[in-house]
Amino acid sequence: MSEKLQTLIIEDEELARNLLRSYLKDQPEIEIIGECENGFDGVKAINEKKPDLVFLDIQMPKITGFEMIELLDYKPQIIFTTAYDQFALKAFELNAVDYLLKPFSKDRMLSAIEKVKHRIQNGEDTAEKLEELSNFRAGEEFIDRVVVKDRHKIHIITVDQIRYIESLDDYVMIYTNDGRHMKQKTMKFFENSLDPKNFIRIHRSYIVHVDHIAEIQQYEKESYIVILKDKDKTKLKVSKTGYKKIKETLHF
Amino acid sequence: MNHPLTNNYRLLIYYALFWAVIGVTNLILLIFFYNVPFTYSLLDTISTFVIYPLLGSSIWYSIRYNNPEEITIGRLIVFHFIAASILCGIWVTLIYAIFKPFVPQGNDFLKNTLPSKIFGGYVMYAVYLIFFYAVNYYQSLKEKVKKEGEYMALIREAELQALKSQINPHFLFNSLNSISSLTVSDPEKAQEMVINLSTFMRYSLLHNEKEMVAFSRELENIKLYLSIEKVRFGKKLNAEFEIDAHCLDAEIPNMILQPLFENAIKYGVYETTDQVTIKTTCECDGNVLKITIVNDYDHSTLKRKGEGIGLRNIRKRMEIIYNQPDLMKITDNKTSFEVQLIIPQKQALS
Repeated sequence: MSEKLQTLIIEDEELARNLLRSYLKDQPEIEIIGECENGFDGVKAINEKKPDLVFLDIQMPKITGFEMIELLDYKPQIIFTTAYDQFALKAFELNAVDYLLKPFSKDRMLSAIEKVKHRIQNGEDTAEKLEELSNFRAGEEFIDRVVVKDRHKIHIITVDQIRYIESLDDYVMIYTNDGRHMKQKTMKFFENSLDPKNFIRIHRSYIVHVDHIAEIQQYEKESYIVILKDKDKTKLKVSKTGYKKIKETLHF
Repeated sequence: MNHPLTNNYRLLIYYALFWAVIGVTNLILLIFFYNVPFTYSLLDTISTFVIYPLLGSSIWYSIRYNNPEEITIGRLIVFHFIAASILCGIWVTLIYAIFKPFVPQGNDFLKNTLPSKIFGGYVMYAVYLIFFYAVNYYQSLKEKVKKEGEYMALIREAELQALKSQINPHFLFNSLNSISSLTVSDPEKAQEMVINLSTFMRYSLLHNEKEMVAFSRELENIKLYLSIEKVRFGKKLNAEFEIDAHCLDAEIPNMILQPLFENAIKYGVYETTDQVTIKTTCECDGNVLKITIVNDYDHSTLKRKGEGIGLRNIRKRMEIIYNQPDLMKITDNKTSFEVQLIIPQKQALS
């Protein structure tokens, strides 16, 4: 490979960044094009600089390395780094992505880079793998927040802010108290990842937060609609199974 | 379970006294009211109130190895009837053997009293049965209560052990990573951090979960912990202490503060990119020490789910140690998070 690997380091701890930099310093095929201290900057840097390789820490302020992946328009090769996170380890192993456990040796890091180079030479795409990775994680326990990106701004939506979610083919629209946000995720993902005590899939196209339901009306024979508490009194269709689920959750 | 009479010296004395009193009463009655000759009265008394009690004490074994809950009532009755018959047989044989030399040939004393003796033997067997069942029941009950107490103590201990904060592996591996980095850039500082980390870990391993330490000692350990975390987080972590010197002698459970600081770092320092201050204040009045730890946190990125497992463990541990609820108070001001520990003191602080 003649060209150097354009490499980005995303890591919140200075000492950990220093170590990576010192390991990479004498590697002729690596060129460090930037360092980021948090996930917000990381997303921006990846989307703008389009690096070949990213060293990505999982635990970071604002948003985690996993949440970052969901916000990338461009998916580079990623070597994850983490100190101790059982969830992450399971996800890494199941999806065969590269990861380094802190503290790691230089040799260990170099062999991870070798694998990446190999993949780039073979023209392997990582996007799908990374997508699976971010979906896997949510399967383990209920999520408590969702990160979204509108144009250039990243929003962190805690799940209690979500009023309802509407399906739009490959995307979903998340409606909160102060607006709506589009996200590339499936309804299935949210149905599985949101706590069913608070969120009900009332219809093929809708998941609604129970606290935002004002009333349930019979619309036709055997067909219902949910009216939300907002000032527009948003009406959402309820399917037969959806109605059953509402009844089960709200005990009426 | 041993025989209650050989096992319990006092019970044995009461047993002997009981039969002695009845025996003497019987003797007096026979001699003075029924005008039975002295020899006969004495022999009769000995046979009924000395020999029978000696034999009867073995009835214990017939109930000990026959749990009425395990065998049917029919079998139990048959068993005891056979046991009573054997016992009475032995008893009557013994009486004959003892009486023989004293009773002249042709005297019907023995023959006449035999049916009432045998009947009495069966009745006595029944009385013994009730007595021993009662003793047995009482002993098992006592044993059960004792076992239950031991069991509860074991549970409490295990609970405490579990509740005592363990070194968070995340903290450990991140610190080791910092050290790894420092060995390249600043070996001296790396060495210092290794020593700090060792001292901190030794403190947390050495003290057992019940042990009380001086507040000053715990505070030292916290400062050590924060100095290790400060190497990782740099300027982001700012710790302030306002400690009254006369509170330093107060006693507190060891390692009770560290999880609070760990929590403050996890939710405060870790989740933001700005500097976070963790402020520790304390006051001691009368018989309590109150320690308050406040940290800023970024409300926008976090949805706090009330008490995490760390705080819950501390609350539980305080409850077990002091047998008193509500020794931990939590106030969430949306931009800052406050935890107050109220630690009762055995001795008033001067």
